[in-house]
Amino acid sequence: MYNSALYKDEPLLQFIDVSKWFGPILALSQITWTFKSGIVGLVGANGAGKSTFLRLAAGLLRPTLGEVKIAGHDAWDWRSRRLIGYCPSTDAFFHDLSGQQFVLVMARLCGMTRREARKSTEAILQRLGLHDLATRPIYGYSKGMRQRIKLAQALVHHPPLLILDEPLAGIDPLGRHELIGLFRQLNQEGHSLIISSHELETLEQLTDQILILSRGRLAAAGTIAEIRHQLSEYPITIRITVSSPRELARQLIDWPEVSAIEWPASSQHTSCNTLLVRVHRPREFFQRLTQFLAQNTSWDITCFESIDESAHALLGYILGGSGKT
Amino acid sequence: MKGVDSQLLQFTPWEGNHTRRHAAAVAILRISLLLIVRQRLFWALLALAALAFFFFFYAQYLLVWISQHLAQETIRIAGFPVSVSNLLRFLDRLALNGSAHTYGNFIWFQGYIIVILLAFSGSQLFGNDIVYGSMLFYYSKPISLWHYFYGKCCTIALLLLMTTFIPAIILWIEAGLLFDWKTYYMQNYHLLLGITGYSTLIALTLSLLTAATALLFRRTTPLVLAWMGLFVLLRLISNWLTLATQDASWRLLDLWNNLYLCGLWCFGVDHATIRPVPQPSYDAACLVIVGIIILCLMYINFYLKYLYK
Repeated sequence: MYNSALYKDEPLLQFIDVSKWFGPILALSQITWTFKSGIVGLVGANGAGKSTFLRLAAGLLRPTLGEVKIAGHDAWDWRSRRLIGYCPSTDAFFHDLSGQQFVLVMARLCGMTRREARKSTEAILQRLGLHDLATRPIYGYSKGMRQRIKLAQALVHHPPLLILDEPLAGIDPLGRHELIGLFRQLNQEGHSLIISSHELETLEQLTDQILILSRGRLAAAGTIAEIRHQLSEYPITIRITVSSPRELARQLIDWPEVSAIEWPASSQHTSCNTLLVRVHRPREFFQRLTQFLAQNTSWDITCFESIDESAHALLGYILGGSGKT
Repeated sequence: MKGVDSQLLQFTPWEGNHTRRHAAAVAILRISLLLIVRQRLFWALLALAALAFFFFFYAQYLLVWISQHLAQETIRIAGFPVSVSNLLRFLDRLALNGSAHTYGNFIWFQGYIIVILLAFSGSQLFGNDIVYGSMLFYYSKPISLWHYFYGKCCTIALLLLMTTFIPAIILWIEAGLLFDWKTYYMQNYHLLLGITGYSTLIALTLSLLTAATALLFRRTTPLVLAWMGLFVLLRLISNWLTLATQDASWRLLDLWNNLYLCGLWCFGVDHATIRPVPQPSYDAACLVIVGIIILCLMYINFYLKYLYK
């Protein structure tokens, strides 16, 4: 039997050189990744291997090569699933059952006694704001309530690791906001979460830790800043507001790191003193700029910001597309 | 993001005593039963099964009452006088007399309803889980897929026992009360064992067959067609071939007849009294049933091995 003392010293989830084949199709290729705690967002285009990745993490699939470990134990071992709450993307429920009955059975499957299961079910339904509606059949639930019920069954046995496959899909903005708040709260209480989503902006609100899958390969992992740092060739656009923009542009255009300089259309966010500098080797550019500004202190720079440092832009670059998944 | 250590310190996982994993099968049985009893078709089929039971129940009572009170009388049927004793001799062919054939015939008649019930339950219990992906909910919990199948098969077995074993036991108790109960119960306790054996065999074989066919066909319509093929078409074919060739071996194609033969073997019935004739030997019927059980287990094992790997 697992207890908290056992898994405190081990990473919660480890992928060690994991590959997964479905017949002739390579779904995941040589993934090595360690997750200790916190919230991590899993992003990637359709067919990138997100669901396969999550199912391997939840011990629902066995890797063709490599190992997946939950707190140091084989994820395929049924005991490892005691440490996991898995919320599948599928919306297939037992529609005739009430939410309470469904969660209660799931609690019993986790090895709880009848009394503990009942107690835990009531607590989790209360927690997720479903207590009043719990006796209603699931077929009458809205999309948001279904997501909450799925979350309730994943949380009912208090697992340290929650694996959520597209938990925000199809949720209206208000419901999404509530769920994000809930995920944050769960994380603050000590649950670790792996969340797959197409909503990059939403994931950005929740965590800066992301994992990017592309065609079955782990394209990038870490915080958005770390990933950017790793990609020294990742081009960025910098908005600079300065008292004499034409003079600065004349200086910068000769630098090899700068690929273009533009004058943005005037709007409430920009003034006529603003210029956009497209940089293709950011690290070198920033080093050079620091030296340049130290030598020439007369520049009156009032604004200096990267305008495409978001996960969306980063993903677009990594996946070679627009970033839309 | 907060520090790792502080998060772990705040987190208090559930560390209660885990029940045995077999208890999960009970939970699956419970949820499966709930799913089945909420379907109207189930109640319609149960009503039909109850109808067959009440026919046997009251017919048995009526025949005993007639034989005890009107045996010497003559009644008029369509204007013709008929001796009640002659009528009783004719009705004896129905074997509504608390003998092994009473229970054997009763379970045989329930077969028609059972076939539809199982085709329907198979798609509800197994097919939907696979087609709509709800099996993931079960399998993401700390149980193995064998526990899942164990729980589901137990549900089917329970449905079968509800339609065969329990009513047959009531008929046995009734038969004892209609005759001299002490003598009947003492002399016919082996029938009770026979009912148990026959019902258990049906529950075991058909629950595995339901699971295997549901995994193969998944959706209700193909599943019903498959069951009709197995239990109706094969029966017709086996009847024609047996009549045409007078070779009893062709009856082995009829699965329900094989179960019936095994059931009568449990009752200890003399093979020569089994109708219709010719019938294959008890051994051959048992071999077919064992073969089907093994095949079903092999298929389920094969399926489980490759389902999530």
